[in-house]
Amino acid sequence: MSDILLKTEKLCKTFSNGGLQQHVLKNIDLELYDGDFTVIMGASGAGKSTLLYALSGMDTPTLGKISFGDKVISDMSQDALSVFRRQHCGFVFQQIYLIDGMSVMDNVLAAGLLVQKDRKSLVQKAKALFAAVDIDEETQKKFPSQISGGQAQRVGIVRALINSPRILFADEPTGALNSKTGLDVLDTLTKFNECGQSIVMVTHDLRSARRGNRILYLKDGAVLGDCKLGKYEHGNEERHEKLSAFLRDMEW
Amino acid sequence: MGKYFLVARSNLRKAKGQSAVIVALILLAALMLNLWLMLSTDYAENFERYHDKLNAEHVTLSITGVDKAQTDFISRTLDEDARVSEYRHDECVGMIGGFSYNGGMTNMWLVFMEKQYALDRSIGKAEVIEDSGKSGVYLPMLYKTDDMGVGATVQISVGSYIVSYEVCGFFNSVMMGSHNCSLTQILFTPDLYEQFVALEYAPKSVLWSVRLKDASDNAQFRAQFKNAIAERFPSVNMMSNDYDTVAQARYISQNICSGILCAMAFLVLLIAIVVIVSNIINYIQVNIKNLGVLKSTGYTSKQLVLALLTQFLSLAFLASVAGSALSYGVFPSISVMMISQTGIPYAMRFLPLPVFISIAVLCGAVALAVWLAARRIRKIEPITALRSGIVTHNFKKNRVPLEKTKAPLNFALALKTTLSNMKHNVTVCVTMLVLSVLVVFSGLMTENVIADMTPFVNLIVGETADSCISVHAEAEARFVEQLNSDVRVEKAYLFNSINIAHVGGMELLATVSDDFSAVNNKNVVFEGRFPKYDNEMAVAAKYAGEKDIEIGDTVKFSACGKTADYLVCGFTQMTNNLGKDCLITRAGYERLGELTEASYYIDLKPSVDIDESNAEMKEKFAGDVNIAINIAQTVDGASRVYVSLMTFIVIAILAVSALIIAFVLYLLVRTMLATKMRDYGILKSVGYTTGQLVLQTALSFMPSLIISTIVGLVVGCLIINPLMSLFLSSIGVVKCTFGIPIGFVSIAGVVLIVLSFGIACLLSLKARKISPRNLLVGE
Repeated sequence: MSDILLKTEKLCKTFSNGGLQQHVLKNIDLELYDGDFTVIMGASGAGKSTLLYALSGMDTPTLGKISFGDKVISDMSQDALSVFRRQHCGFVFQQIYLIDGMSVMDNVLAAGLLVQKDRKSLVQKAKALFAAVDIDEETQKKFPSQISGGQAQRVGIVRALINSPRILFADEPTGALNSKTGLDVLDTLTKFNECGQSIVMVTHDLRSARRGNRILYLKDGAVLGDCKLGKYEHGNEERHEKLSAFLRDMEW
Repeated sequence: MGKYFLVARSNLRKAKGQSAVIVALILLAALMLNLWLMLSTDYAENFERYHDKLNAEHVTLSITGVDKAQTDFISRTLDEDARVSEYRHDECVGMIGGFSYNGGMTNMWLVFMEKQYALDRSIGKAEVIEDSGKSGVYLPMLYKTDDMGVGATVQISVGSYIVSYEVCGFFNSVMMGSHNCSLTQILFTPDLYEQFVALEYAPKSVLWSVRLKDASDNAQFRAQFKNAIAERFPSVNMMSNDYDTVAQARYISQNICSGILCAMAFLVLLIAIVVIVSNIINYIQVNIKNLGVLKSTGYTSKQLVLALLTQFLSLAFLASVAGSALSYGVFPSISVMMISQTGIPYAMRFLPLPVFISIAVLCGAVALAVWLAARRIRKIEPITALRSGIVTHNFKKNRVPLEKTKAPLNFALALKTTLSNMKHNVTVCVTMLVLSVLVVFSGLMTENVIADMTPFVNLIVGETADSCISVHAEAEARFVEQLNSDVRVEKAYLFNSINIAHVGGMELLATVSDDFSAVNNKNVVFEGRFPKYDNEMAVAAKYAGEKDIEIGDTVKFSACGKTADYLVCGFTQMTNNLGKDCLITRAGYERLGELTEASYYIDLKPSVDIDESNAEMKEKFAGDVNIAINIAQTVDGASRVYVSLMTFIVIAILAVSALIIAFVLYLLVRTMLATKMRDYGILKSVGYTTGQLVLQTALSFMPSLIISTIVGLVVGCLIINPLMSLFLSSIGVVKCTFGIPIGFVSIAGVVLIVLSFGIACLLSLKARKISPRNLLVGE
């Protein structure tokens, strides 16, 4: 069993809107492990993205506790959460969210320079990551509006990994991409996970879910099922079948 | 039309803060514009109204002594002059004197009259403004101060004597109501007048009041009239004034104040226009998708521009109406300050024309700015707009690449923002350039008027010394001998003012001296040199400009019936006679006539009491001393009104500047946060703190702010003296040489920058509300 990376206790998140209360997450107790590729699935409105934001310190829970190692992140201030995110987390968004006014390289360095002061070695690291995701030097100089969606998402992955985070969060990373580019992004994530990178990914796409070694299924704000698969292996039908059966059980 | 309002209303709803700032700036501009128009139109005409109301003179002349031959001659001269419409002469008591005012002493030709007699005069009548009904003395209303009200005791010095009376009221006299008129009237109740005449402290005189058919002849008529009398009666002692000189002299403060208000109104308008243009460009950038949607649904560019015009014109109209209305609330305070210098009461009334002009100018300027800025909507194609303005060809440059820059991260990111926000930079630059110039002006006034008014006095008064004693010509030799032997006297020199007439021109106030190298203020002659020989003269630059006189020209002057040619050796700038002055040596004057009295300027050793010394001289030369003045005290009293006016102006400028900085930065920061909401959300999600974003936002304004402040201060230092010369040109100043307080300006620059940075940081704190979660759920 790997080390526990993130742990939640009685995690609740409630939204109030015009006096109407909506309990999106209900008493979630969860442990996420180092080196895992955890996939969070569920129907629309199940609370999967809300859980991801809470786990990553993007949002604060209404009740409950989230611990990262010996740090309780649920009690942290916004600025402390910012520092936590820059040091330990990486993010890949569905909408990619690169800063339009910055070049591809600057988008990555703007995140990297927050943590790493040695500019030269940081640039070398960025270039190595770009090479790993197949982004050439010419593309690194371009602006986000001048590259394709797939390239942009791979840049997003490089930005997420530039500070060598303990955990990488991905919210529907292939949601805005076509089939081919989506596959490239998944291959990239899988490759980094194989190298030991912990990943937590939200998806409602079966093809994406197959990349995970652990599947959490959320329904009405609670974890309905937790399926542990082996590491991803291309063409491993038995593994695929196990996932399909789990999802059938979950009435997905 | 309805659809324009629909779009305009929707825009206004979305940009309440920006609209509020634009309203505030236009309101401020309208306030100052209307105040300027009120001051320069109706307020300036107030003098003329009172002149008509009191059937005041165009030329006034007080002549010492009551002599039938003299009266007959003057009457005949006036009867024969076709320019004269009506005239009258009245017996009175008159001579040079002074009384306590504003902690100092005034010094001028005093005309004493019985109150009822003065009120009943058909020409140049007086009008009582305040009356206790008791026995006492009435002063012109200019002299009503906190210390000098009804019931106070006024000390009046006449020749060598000092008398004290209770002030029982104040009156208004157009031509003799201020120390700026050369002649000042003082009225007595009948009992006191009889007593005063019986004292025989001052000689009986005749006051001539002349109205002309064409008022514009006044200055020339005065010169010729005085010359005719002086030619016939060379030893006569007289003092005169004319309509132009008095009208200008009584409205010096009004001229300065309206000039400053005009400049500030247009500067604030300029800032408002830049802000509006920046706002529209930003609006187009942010709302490019919406504009694309509207265009694709059939809206034409003209309709979208008209919607923006409707939006900004409605704001401009409301703000300018409100600003104009507010000016009526502020004007009474300004009027009180002005009256303390003009001495003429002013009843405020609604003036539709200035209001109309203010609204028209502001709405016109806003309409033009909106139209020019919004024209780019025409170039936007719907499909490009729907793609958020992304065009096929993109020449975007990566400024300050993080890979190469050595700058700290936050500074580098701020610099990126700076370089990608040129419209913000332009707004900041224009604002700070304008404000820096205003700060330099405030520094200049603080240093040269408020803190130490010597430079201002030197410019306005010309020459000053500790004391001025005027003695009869016969006693001059003895007096000079006494001065030379007195160890308390540091320096004494002849500095005597007398009128001489420029042939074919006006009457000038000539200052006569034996040796101009003795004067303290060498800047009086700012071009050329002081006269040395009897054929030389230095002429006021303002007058020389009007008459096309150059250094090296020969000019003809007359006095006492004689005429002589003089070579112009220099240009002066003294405002004593509003730029109608000249300097001449005693030998030069003696080519025209003899001095009947000699005024000496005396500098005493630092520890010597000026009043005591003057009193001693009066005692020693009893009967021969016309007047002994403590110049420092006199100047102090007369100048205090300018100090308070300038203090008010400087405080107002600094307050308005701070307000404008806050307004403009509020608008820019708000706009920036709105446009960078997504970027800041992304940066927060990757680990940037609120503090870092606040710092980046505030820092992004700093390059343009620092550069424009420095440029503004440097430009301000270079142009402020010429600008001041322009403001003061109406009173005879041609070349201002105020010392520029470099220390004050530098500190003010630093304060301006630090203040702006502080305000930008405070306003940027709104970035704390930007959370990465909003980013994630927002789209």
